[in-house]
Amino acid sequence: MSVTYDVVITGGGMSGMMAAITLADAGRSVAVVSKGDPVCCLSTGCIDVIADGNSPLESICSLPDNHPYHLAGIDVINSSLEMFKSVMSAEGGAYAGDARANRRILTPLGRHKTTCLVPGAMEFADFHPDEYIHIISFEGMKDFYPNYITSNYKNSGFSIFDAGVSTTMGIARRFENRQFLEGFISWLKGLDIPEGRIAMPAVLGMRFAEDVCNEISAELDRKVFEIPTLPPSLPGLRLFGGLKNALLKRGGHLYWGKEICSVEKSGSQIEAVTLAGAGRSTRVQGNVFMLATGSFVSGGLHASMDAVRETVFDLPVYLPGKRESWFNNDFFAPGHPIEKSGICVDKSFRPVDSRIENLFVCGSILAFSEVMKYGCGHGMAIATGVAAANVCGELV
Amino acid sequence: MANCPVSRVNPDFPGPKQAGPDAERFRSDDETSIDKWIRLCNQCKRCEVACPYGVNPAQIILKEQVRYGGKHFRPLASRVFANTYWLGALGSLIAPVVNILTPRAFVKRVLNVFGISTSIPFPQYRFHSMNRSWRWKGPRKSRKKVVFFYGCFLNYNRPDLGRDIRDFLASLGVRVIMPKQVCCGLPALGNGDIDTARKFASKNARILAGYIDRGYDVLYSCTSCGLSLTQDYPGILDVPYGRKVSENSYNLHEYILNLMEEHYIDPVLEPFHRRVAYHIPCHLRALGIGYPAARLFEKIPGLDVHILEDNCCGLSGSYGFKTSNEDTAVKLGITAARAVKAVDPDMLASDCGACRMQLEYFSGVPAFDPSEILMKSLKNSKAAK
Amino acid sequence: MIKTDVIIIGGGSTGCGIARDLALRDIPHCLIEKGDFAAGATGACHGLLHSGGRYAVNDPEAAAQCISENMILRRIGVKCVEQTGGLFVRLPGDSKKFRDMFLKSCEETGISTEVLSPSRALDLVPNLNPSIEEAITVPDCSIDPFRLCMLNITSSLRWGGEILTHKKVVAVIREHGRCVGVKAQDESTGQTTEVRGRIIINAAGAWGDKIASLAGSSVPMTLSKGSLIITNHRLTNMVINRLRPSSDGDIIVPNEAVCLAGTTSITVSDPDENEVDPAEVDIIATQAQQMLPDFEGTRLIRTYAGVRPLLKADGGDDREISRGFRIIDHENGMLSIMGGKLTTYRLMAEKISDRVVEVLGLKTRCRTAELPLEGQEELSGYPLSRRLKSLKNIVCECELVTADDVERVAREIGTRRIGDIQHRTRLGMGPCQGGFCTYRALGIMQETGEMTPEESMHVLREFLQRRFRGIKPALWGDQLREEQLVESIYLGILGMEQEQ
Repeated sequence: MSVTYDVVITGGGMSGMMAAITLADAGRSVAVVSKGDPVCCLSTGCIDVIADGNSPLESICSLPDNHPYHLAGIDVINSSLEMFKSVMSAEGGAYAGDARANRRILTPLGRHKTTCLVPGAMEFADFHPDEYIHIISFEGMKDFYPNYITSNYKNSGFSIFDAGVSTTMGIARRFENRQFLEGFISWLKGLDIPEGRIAMPAVLGMRFAEDVCNEISAELDRKVFEIPTLPPSLPGLRLFGGLKNALLKRGGHLYWGKEICSVEKSGSQIEAVTLAGAGRSTRVQGNVFMLATGSFVSGGLHASMDAVRETVFDLPVYLPGKRESWFNNDFFAPGHPIEKSGICVDKSFRPVDSRIENLFVCGSILAFSEVMKYGCGHGMAIATGVAAANVCGELV
Repeated sequence: MANCPVSRVNPDFPGPKQAGPDAERFRSDDETSIDKWIRLCNQCKRCEVACPYGVNPAQIILKEQVRYGGKHFRPLASRVFANTYWLGALGSLIAPVVNILTPRAFVKRVLNVFGISTSIPFPQYRFHSMNRSWRWKGPRKSRKKVVFFYGCFLNYNRPDLGRDIRDFLASLGVRVIMPKQVCCGLPALGNGDIDTARKFASKNARILAGYIDRGYDVLYSCTSCGLSLTQDYPGILDVPYGRKVSENSYNLHEYILNLMEEHYIDPVLEPFHRRVAYHIPCHLRALGIGYPAARLFEKIPGLDVHILEDNCCGLSGSYGFKTSNEDTAVKLGITAARAVKAVDPDMLASDCGACRMQLEYFSGVPAFDPSEILMKSLKNSKAAK
Repeated sequence: MIKTDVIIIGGGSTGCGIARDLALRDIPHCLIEKGDFAAGATGACHGLLHSGGRYAVNDPEAAAQCISENMILRRIGVKCVEQTGGLFVRLPGDSKKFRDMFLKSCEETGISTEVLSPSRALDLVPNLNPSIEEAITVPDCSIDPFRLCMLNITSSLRWGGEILTHKKVVAVIREHGRCVGVKAQDESTGQTTEVRGRIIINAAGAWGDKIASLAGSSVPMTLSKGSLIITNHRLTNMVINRLRPSSDGDIIVPNEAVCLAGTTSITVSDPDENEVDPAEVDIIATQAQQMLPDFEGTRLIRTYAGVRPLLKADGGDDREISRGFRIIDHENGMLSIMGGKLTTYRLMAEKISDRVVEVLGLKTRCRTAELPLEGQEELSGYPLSRRLKSLKNIVCECELVTADDVERVAREIGTRRIGDIQHRTRLGMGPCQGGFCTYRALGIMQETGEMTPEESMHVLREFLQRRFRGIKPALWGDQLREEQLVESIYLGILGMEQEQ
């Protein structure tokens, strides 16, 4: 293939997709190369900006100097989140919230988790502990046990609906059926739920659930919200699906499902990446490249017994110490030292200690992002993705 | 599980992770398989494309389907469809009779008894098949020469389209040869009959390799044939020349795109104002070559293309033609068709004949191969430089 | 208060074996175990039913015992012993002299062997190191120690024996210088139960000395920690041993759908010293790779360690100590049994039960070798592929445990402990080490009323913490990636941060 894209982005997750959309909007030709579906498909579908405090933009200022948020800057953080909201809204999946204030969602264990932007179907998850909530669960559904939630709230109750299928995806599919939804609503009405809110696991359809939520809400005259589930996570899938379709609409090209098996360089420039195929490999050429492959979970970083490698371009990786010190003893204390590991970049998102000039790095592969510790996963991915895209877009 | 279309609608299929790598830990070559439900997998390969860790659940499941098929009685419908090639040959031979009979109610009932589903109409057969058509077209001494692997669907059901593609390529200055060929082998493999699949594949690979050695590229139109040639020939079927065929096979649109990008052809594209719902076949995603037809569409002025890649149409080759899978295929077909209708298109496009049949039936929108749209708009100017 | 004839302290393989033996001899007994069955060395062993090959050269007496018991257990425990067979592989550089001694000693002790050429060996185990010089077959088998204990206890329960678990013996009651009973304290409620009997058997394994001291006696022993690692799939269908004088990391055992590789031998001073050192993991992995090159890059899903109660040595390498066992009569109503191996548990139980019978003045003889283990009907048995008939309603995807299994077990034993369910169903023993199925199993137990939501949250936390400690020494590569995913699910989606 002899076409050369303006920008080739490796990694089709939150930061890669947001970077691609930013560049496509700026009129650049973009290809996203991804070896599979990204980690955000497993997530709650919410955008965590920073877990600490009530005001994310303020809390970000007190992060250590080396945190990637500072590379983006408060203005870009704010504007990139707004951009994210408008992109998702155009795809039919509006997000509620903004960067000035944190909000909370309800977890399947009945905890209130801090986040910032939530899908429309979770807008009303931030309820007062004294308010009555009624949990709806589904017969046979494996990873959802309403007792966990109702035991945390004195003023609560639950009911179980038999959807005829018990898998998350199977139930979500049923909600696409008009008759099923009507049947569900009339069953709900028959329960005579007291004044308060209704919550259910996130299965209200394969596409964005806001409409279904609103309909149930209107018919029952109660606020309704979704609770994110263990994978398969519909909110995560909807989030990813929305971004992907937004990119396709903007003329971005996707090369999906194959791993990069070789990188061609010429001097200090990367020229192309080659994707291992069943038969011939596919060569993708670009003027500029972006590394958005994520951290250990997605395979952007790989740990051997005593070292960590960056798996596509073999960039130098910052490592906080020897293997014995990678993890704390306490499973529940977020902030294992290994989280600091990643690629160090300069102010223009280019990797330090590397001769390569046309490579930019964004997302959770950046060193010191410490996603679990600060609760900043998707927010940081969006901010650095957009910021890096702005910088590299000018280079093209 | 998030990506598997079958597990979503059929609770008897536990999904790719459980059916593949999880269950594999309990399987052993010395032991007889008893996991009958393994046949419910339609081999759409969506799990393979989605898995970021390089695990190929579809391949693990395929191996088990073959093992299961090898040791257990295969129902009539499976045997029939494993031999799609001979079915097509027969259908083509007595096409007028077959085409009158298959829509008839009593024939449908008979077919149902034998496990063949009639929820969507049987495709029409044509006597004037590809292998009864002129085998050579295009300039003798062209730099660009291809052997066209047209596949059973074009051969027996849409030979008119196959011939149009042949002629179209020739008009671009490409020497086109339609070699002797048999079924790519995918239907046999999908019905648990690896021996038949290997027989077909060996024959094809030998013939194609001969052409490759003389400088020809192999072109395929059907993306499932393409997957078979590139993935299975050197892979699970492991036939001689398998690797050679795999490395020299091109998707039709990929090839045309290459011609344009190398400036071998500089076509004038006429505006074609239509809204097209382009349904990406599951096997095209699995090929990992991107969506070349979409890139061709971009060059057509006025064409409003909506790419739909979130759904499997459900027919999955011969899978949906078996009554045991009828329910699954219909449910998936309805969902995929809904996505098509939501675009409110003038036409729908898809590289795969099965997808076209299924979606046209369930959505009512006329279905075309992308090359048909291309041919409508493309006017060739000069040939080779 | 419970009155019985024989009190058995310790629910490991020996204790459970004794319970079965006494039941078959119609002798009233009460077994007291401070945790769940197989809580000590039994539950942390290699899962190997020895052919005795390993001891043939240095400890022929132990070897002879092993092969004899091996043959008995294969007969009486058809559904809980997997007859994998074993190989002793000789790699380039391994002593030929040792190999000759090995063959000779095996012949002398009655262990059947066959010498295989490398190509024959590779036929049997295709992923063996292709540069092996030769391999020798032995009748090693794989066994699940939890199941073994469970089946022995079944005999006792069906007969009417008293079985107390999660109760720790905190005092020995003495009257006129004789031991007449014990006081056992419940682990969770703190309540004490008094048990009185005519004889006390101290089968507490590594805690044997602590128990004996409660009666004013002592059991001299050497405590030797051995660590093992678990792989995420079954790399080999046969037990693989290294044909050389016993050293670290010599053995790889297939067990259900995983492999256990080990072990090490480090003297410790306390039976609760069972933390795995990452350096041990490195040693075992490196040694295993030499026999099965596929080991490199294989995901390790867990590490664990057990403390062996060995007969006291006088300095020198732990490995030199006899694996034989000894019975000590403290002449105050307490008998102690220590040493031994899982493989010879039945023989140990037989010998000490014979002594008990003598003391009680009875004439009943041992029948444990004649009768098959009771309770095997419930087991799915082997081959593993039979379990794939239907995958409906699965809770533990790795080990194919269904919701019905969990509910049934929870109801039958009325338990609130996730460990109890795991040992009886293999829930959480697979590659994800209970990462998700534990949450599900606890959810189910809540719904069936076995546990309150608060209790199950508490259990879940504890379980996750313990699981993490077991995995931590092997966290690199794919396992590290998997663990980060588990972390993001529990903290990120479920919101289980630190205890409020």
